[in-house]
Amino acid sequence: MIIQAESPVLEIHDMTVSYDQSPVLWNIDFTLPSGQLIGILGPNGAGKSTLIKAIMGLVNPTGGYVKVFDKPLEEVRSRISYVPQRESVDWNFPASVLDVVMMGTYGKLGLFKRPGKREKEVALASLDQVGMSAFINRQISELSGGQQQRVFIARALAQDADLYLMDEPFAGVDIATEAAIFELLKKMALEGKTVVVVHHDIYSAMTYFDWMIMLNLHLVASGPKNQVVTEELLRKTYGGKLNLLSKVSELVRKQDFNPLEH
Amino acid sequence: MSFDQNAFLIILTGSLIAISCGLLGVFMMLRKMAMTGDAISHAVLPGIVIGFFVAGSQRGLEVIIGAGILGIIATLIIDWLRKKARVQLDASIGITFTLLFAIGIILINLFAYNVDLDQECVLYGEIAYLPIDLWVTGSGTILGPRITYLAVLNFTLVAGFIYFFFKELTLTSFDESFGSVMGIPSKGINLALMSMVSYTTVSSFEAVGAILVVALLVVPPATAFLWTKNLMPLIKLTTILGIGISILGYYLAYLFDSSIAGMMVTVAGVLFLLSALIKGRSSKSAGTSMANI
Repeated sequence: MIIQAESPVLEIHDMTVSYDQSPVLWNIDFTLPSGQLIGILGPNGAGKSTLIKAIMGLVNPTGGYVKVFDKPLEEVRSRISYVPQRESVDWNFPASVLDVVMMGTYGKLGLFKRPGKREKEVALASLDQVGMSAFINRQISELSGGQQQRVFIARALAQDADLYLMDEPFAGVDIATEAAIFELLKKMALEGKTVVVVHHDIYSAMTYFDWMIMLNLHLVASGPKNQVVTEELLRKTYGGKLNLLSKVSELVRKQDFNPLEH
Repeated sequence: MSFDQNAFLIILTGSLIAISCGLLGVFMMLRKMAMTGDAISHAVLPGIVIGFFVAGSQRGLEVIIGAGILGIIATLIIDWLRKKARVQLDASIGITFTLLFAIGIILINLFAYNVDLDQECVLYGEIAYLPIDLWVTGSGTILGPRITYLAVLNFTLVAGFIYFFFKELTLTSFDESFGSVMGIPSKGINLALMSMVSYTTVSSFEAVGAILVVALLVVPPATAFLWTKNLMPLIKLTTILGIGISILGYYLAYLFDSSIAGMMVTVAGVLFLLSALIKGRSSKSAGTSMANI
């Protein structure tokens, strides 16, 4: 079930992505609304990371196109920000927390310009938003996993983009931090930013996201949470893992929220 | 000891080369590309030979351009082998630079047997000849040692490159895909860095040779990285190490009547080993104190 958004911020048309001739994403076609917290769900190897990498042009689709803010990607790069997986960089890099967050401002600075006072203020404000103000001079190698994740989110905030794409930002983060970051993401969505999050945990996804994309090489569903999270579509996304699905239904019952009945 | 102009010129030139290599080496190391620097320094050989033919001498601009192009080709082949042919990085480096170096040797043997160019000169170099290799203008004015001029020009270009592209180099070294997403031309920056490494290799090979250039690219930054985890101090310490290595290397070579470039790299290696021993021990004791808490 694919529900189209009105005046979408992101439009993907009939996109196929292949590695070594074998397609990892087939005929992906959806639109996303602005100002929402959007989750990308699917089992391991479903192509979730590949999907957001294709949106940002980090991998080239073999077919189809992506339009962001109704324009080709190259024209709107400074309005898109990326929170990569924490493991994608070497945290032994010689930099402080502030150095890394300042990097978020580089895109708008342009060539040959150096970050100054204004960029520093932006970076400090971003660190404050993620609750990392006490760590500005800390070496990034000395941070815990959750702190590294928050530094990456602060770096994206410093970019002041309109569309945020986050790849598993909650991997290795404790529950308290996860809740705090979700509060922050909700606030960003209320301010009109669109936040797309690759997420592995269906349980918390139910409570946090407004809009869901369900993926398993093909696009299974895209739409408001209440309309697309059904038992049939979950089964299609996750295959025959009934054990998992019954656990979800149980959890949903406990929380007195049942999207399966909508 | 009275002022020895030759000693001063050799140490100055050695320092400039060591600093140029060290500055580029810092970013090569942070990109985990230290061995790509090794590959480039050997892969430029065919470019030097071809440039030599076009120019008719090993002094020409064509030699530097030829080497620069080969350096970039080497980088592109390594990248292609790794990404498209799925060869591991170390294997693709090993294949690429040995192949290109071998082509260079064959080119020398085929065409250049009667001219003043051989692989020894490219591999080893000799900075001690610097004071007698003078730059003489067409009208006969002697301007000073040619290699010193080359080193000054090289240093100026490397320092300028790093100064102007500092934030791009830093960002793409740390997180290339984040940079690409926000529109920083990561591939262009990468190729520019590889070109600078190629150019520095060629500019320095007469003085210190391609093998020792690799040591200057890798060892001072690696030593400095043992002492600091901040980028600016890392760059400053690499620079200081470059100067210190040149001074110590020169006087030890003088004392033992040996190769200056060889001694410079030996000094660099000893400094690295000492640093590794000291820092290795202190991190071990830090580890036990952490365990006690």
